[in-house]
Amino acid sequence: MPRQTSTQITKFILLTTLLVVSAVSCLGQSTTGTVTMSATVSKFVEINSGGAVTLSGNSGGGVTTDGVTNSPLAVSINLGELGPSNTNSFVTAQVPLKLRSNAPYVLSMTASVSSSGTSASRIGAADVGFGLGTISRLGIGVNTTGTDTNATSGDPTLAANGSVNGTTGRYEFTAVRSNLSAFSSATTALSGPIIMNAVPRSNANGLTVPAFFAVKPQFFENGTTTISVTFIVTAP
Amino acid sequence: MRLRHFTYSLLTCLILLAVAHTANAQALDISSGGLPTITGAVNGSVSGNANVQSDLIVTVTFGEVSPLNTNSIVKVIVPIALRSNQPYQVSVSISGLNNANAEALQASDIGFGLQNVRLLGGAGQICSQSTHVIRSPFNNDPSTTATVAANGRVSYTSSLASLSGPTVILSGPELSKNNSAKRQSTDGYMFDAVFALTPQFFAAGVSSATLIFSISPGPNAPC
Repeated sequence: MPRQTSTQITKFILLTTLLVVSAVSCLGQSTTGTVTMSATVSKFVEINSGGAVTLSGNSGGGVTTDGVTNSPLAVSINLGELGPSNTNSFVTAQVPLKLRSNAPYVLSMTASVSSSGTSASRIGAADVGFGLGTISRLGIGVNTTGTDTNATSGDPTLAANGSVNGTTGRYEFTAVRSNLSAFSSATTALSGPIIMNAVPRSNANGLTVPAFFAVKPQFFENGTTTISVTFIVTAP
Repeated sequence: MRLRHFTYSLLTCLILLAVAHTANAQALDISSGGLPTITGAVNGSVSGNANVQSDLIVTVTFGEVSPLNTNSIVKVIVPIALRSNQPYQVSVSISGLNNANAEALQASDIGFGLQNVRLLGGAGQICSQSTHVIRSPFNNDPSTTATVAANGRVSYTSSLASLSGPTVILSGPELSKNNSAKRQSTDGYMFDAVFALTPQFFAAGVSSATLIFSISPGPNAPC
């Protein structure tokens, strides 16, 4: 056999063997396998109703659409008569809010007030007192560490939060962020740390806080007034 | 002449290597058991290989597990195939998932169990003297054993926190009838590795972990 032919045969056998070895390796077994996993937790915040609305001091009017605990907040209230025929000192609506988050939160509010009146004596945003009451973090799964910051002055009917203007005679809510004129654009009302520990959404607990709205019956220009308030909670 | 001797020597070595590989190959093997599945996920997915003769390489993306995912649970089933001509054991080790924040996703938040040990096909060995044993506490479907603990957090009968170093999860007698040098589609057993994660108010962030499933010679288990 010529030397060149023998070399070629040898190379052919060598190549074939290499291919066989490679094939066995590819089709062979392994004693390990790998499962890699990942999960994402995005910031989450929500606001819902904290329960039924309490309306007091009203003459006529009533709660048109009441709050339902843990349901989306969509409350409608008729404050009734706000002229001097209502002899109560204040008409007050207390709207319970419930907040939940897995991150630090900010609750801001935007309010608008429109009246059919045309004079300066019509009801305006400054005539509608506002404030957030006692903040409550209660129940299993609610984070109780850290401090919530109430940017309002609390119950607007408190003596410290308003008085009769000595010059004009009109009652004014004078404390910091104690009336709706302070919320003509989105303005922070409350902020704080994470509300919920690692519990499922089915856990119904959370942070609850009452939102107070108050109007002092006065010799307002007669007419009808619409007050619209939007709460927004974010996780900056 | 010297070159020819060298060539033949090399050729002999390669043949011996191939024979040795063949002889050892069938002893113990772990591979894909089919296509994995995922349910209850938002922006989640799972990828693997439907071919039971392919390596076990699975990527699970649970997706969103904050309350933005309103499903009650995210469940992943990963079928895993096993082959052996001797008693075996399967162990799992975990790396990753070391969140310092206790309210972030922890290993205990991912339920992990084994279900449905079954024949891969007709070439699987049926032994009468020993059974395939899922080691405690892993014999459960974590999606059905999830409970709410006293602190309000969801807990599982077994979870990734049940893994402490390489942890044996399954053992038993030989799995394969034949001694084929290569994987076949019917020559062993398979089981389902089940993972479950309940969306909760976890602290925000992205978490990841890697599980390595290993098969090795197991305790004596006559067939």
